[in-house]
Amino acid sequence: MLSCRVIAFTTIFVIAPLMVIGLATPVIAAPRVPANDSDVLERLPTRAGDSTARTARALREALARDSKNINVAVEAAQLHIANARRDSDPRQLGQAEAVLSPWWGEASPPIPVLVLRATIRQSVHEFASARRDLEQAVKRDPKNGQAWLTLSTVQQVTGDLAGAAQSCERLSANSILFIAITCRSTVDAANGRAAFAYQQLDILLEQSAGIPSSLRSWAITLQAEIAQRLGKNRDAERLFRASLAIDRDDAYTIAAYADFLLDEKRAGAVLKLIPADTRADNLLLRRAIAAKQANVPEASTLIDLLQARFDAALARGSRVHLREEARFEVQLRNRPAVAQKLAQENWQVQKEPADVRILIESAAANSDPAAAMEAVRWVRTSRLEDVTLRKMIAALGKDVGRTKKSGAA
Amino acid sequence: MAGRLATFILAAFAAAIAGISMPTLAHKPSDSYLTIKVDRDNVSGQWDIALRDLDLAVGLDIDGDGTITWGEVKSQRDTISRYALSHLTLQRSTPCTLNVADVLIDEHTDGAYAVLRVAGTCTDAAAPLTVDYRLLFDLDAQHRGLLKLESAGQTTTAIFATTSRSQQFAVAPSVSATATASVATATGAGVIAPATSPIATLVTFVKDGVKHIASGFDHILFLIALLLPAVMIREGGRWRPATALRPTLMNVAGIVTAFTIAHSITLSLAVLGIVDVPSRLVESLIAASVVATALDNLIPFLPRRRWQVAFIFGLLHGLGFASVLLDLGLPTTSLAISLFGFNLGVEIGQLLLVLAVVPLAYVARSTRAYRPLAIGLGSFAIAFVASGWLIERAFKFEFMPF
Repeated sequence: MLSCRVIAFTTIFVIAPLMVIGLATPVIAAPRVPANDSDVLERLPTRAGDSTARTARALREALARDSKNINVAVEAAQLHIANARRDSDPRQLGQAEAVLSPWWGEASPPIPVLVLRATIRQSVHEFASARRDLEQAVKRDPKNGQAWLTLSTVQQVTGDLAGAAQSCERLSANSILFIAITCRSTVDAANGRAAFAYQQLDILLEQSAGIPSSLRSWAITLQAEIAQRLGKNRDAERLFRASLAIDRDDAYTIAAYADFLLDEKRAGAVLKLIPADTRADNLLLRRAIAAKQANVPEASTLIDLLQARFDAALARGSRVHLREEARFEVQLRNRPAVAQKLAQENWQVQKEPADVRILIESAAANSDPAAAMEAVRWVRTSRLEDVTLRKMIAALGKDVGRTKKSGAA
Repeated sequence: MAGRLATFILAAFAAAIAGISMPTLAHKPSDSYLTIKVDRDNVSGQWDIALRDLDLAVGLDIDGDGTITWGEVKSQRDTISRYALSHLTLQRSTPCTLNVADVLIDEHTDGAYAVLRVAGTCTDAAAPLTVDYRLLFDLDAQHRGLLKLESAGQTTTAIFATTSRSQQFAVAPSVSATATASVATATGAGVIAPATSPIATLVTFVKDGVKHIASGFDHILFLIALLLPAVMIREGGRWRPATALRPTLMNVAGIVTAFTIAHSITLSLAVLGIVDVPSRLVESLIAASVVATALDNLIPFLPRRRWQVAFIFGLLHGLGFASVLLDLGLPTTSLAISLFGFNLGVEIGQLLLVLAVVPLAYVARSTRAYRPLAIGLGSFAIAFVASGWLIERAFKFEFMPF
């Protein structure tokens, strides 16, 4: 009685949808009443056996009793900033700012507050005001190592390499040698002395067995990035792994390693490195790029999700992640013109190697080599060494040649 | 063609299943989303606040296991409402009274949010509206309140931050009588007046049901594709006019009943949250069902009994109705009434369509032009239009490799 046609028809239109119904996660786009009391709606970013949440609560309670207690407030702010870094969670930055609110608006708050305020401002890319705070801090307390280190970071991100080098020098007189040398190596690597910086770090890591693991992984990740830029891919691979062996949750190192793997076209390794449920947007971006590279259907879901994040950021009026957004547009959305505009806007603020790269990449994709000229000039004057970047610039040059030729013809 | 169609649709399933591991949790700075509608002396609205933020403010994770369950939210509904309302003041010439009518749950890009349905009154509709927003600023200085203010068909947006907590908005002084009526029946998301009577709710949702059929061209074309040949009898792949009225009416009644039963089943299941299918998949499949039904009029490949087709595809269309109903925003207190009302509206709309199409088709069935024009060209046109929808909806779905 049942013809093949009826069976095929039923399979396509009834059984298959029911399979999806059974498997699909709740993706309702409308307010709902959950079915069961036991339904888990949200997981808080606390980890099993993690004491920081308890400490944070205790500090909040202490502040509720006495919001002007500067020691408690500074401790709470430091904890929130550490959490923000660990989980790349911007909410924690807002909470850090809130505990500092009694002093936040002051022109000259106590030095610990000044340095923390600068750290928060730097994290939300308010580099100019962060720099003013830090300059004030080192003027009032020239022995403040934390202030010199943060100042050096701000200077470097904004392209003031000479200033960054000087801040590292001041740091060396006032802090442990390890931090000072790593600080200096960061600047050297961006300033034509990459091989030297790589060697320095080698010696440094060999000689400092007893230093805290967080500092150690910081230096190893830096060394890995330098190796990558010098084209020593084997060393880079080894060093990234070594850094992750010390702290496998460090979002910065994971992102840097993922970028390395993406350059090597090892998308599968990136999909393994970054879990699908990552909370960090910059890691999600890398996973989406890997999914696209590997031609995995998950890519379209991730792209939609990232688009929603960028839209949400725009709705609240924040343009913090221009670099990431440009990369999203050029690599995942195939909108090089939009990407180029974002990369140019980003270039006005930030001048790290990744900022150079996204500007050149999006200008090349947009067939507008002239737009990348500033970045190309920057690479020359700062003597930034980066094998991938060199190739991109060479290709850009050929493009210019070709455009000229075709223009003449 | 059917084979290609099947491949097409199976590809959509593959994509949907692969997307299941979608990460819904993420990090972004803290935002709340506040929608306020002002209609004369009445204000109503919806306020979405992240559960993470509410946990920070009032402590939702009672058992301290690092997760927030619906039970924990439910048991603290009053605490949440009191906390939220104590951090928001709406004022015209005097402060507005505000109440939380309901607390629901929704997802935003960074996780689960409590959805507060608020309603209240403000005297002196002529005065501008001052919104004083103070939520979370003491705990998270980067928090933002994103406001959407609607009045007399106009929408204004604003952002509240630590440095801009109080803002004033001009509100249309009075709304004309007709506009008021349409606002009262439109039932946009978030407009839940606390004192709505069950009958008013029923009427509202019946109207929504009719409206959905009337504006849902995919449902209309599907029904037309089913009904056009209902006045004919298929013999060996060829159509000939039905000779009597009775078998035609039986045929139509069978189709309509099967479609109704099927979509009522899935509509109820979906609205009650028992089944849950991504809406883009449903929309694509609905378009595919229209293509298939219309093509079947030209080259038969679906089951011969039309009521079976109506039933099986009706299951899909019910899921489509459900997403509309869910988008309208359901009051939890009168779920049964609104579900019944919406379904009733869909039936009324459907019957009106049958009454418009079937008598005409019956009269025209024996003319020489009916077969080539109505069934042939008509079905072709329907298949053509629906293919467009299918491609459009499927492309938005982005499962195609290019």
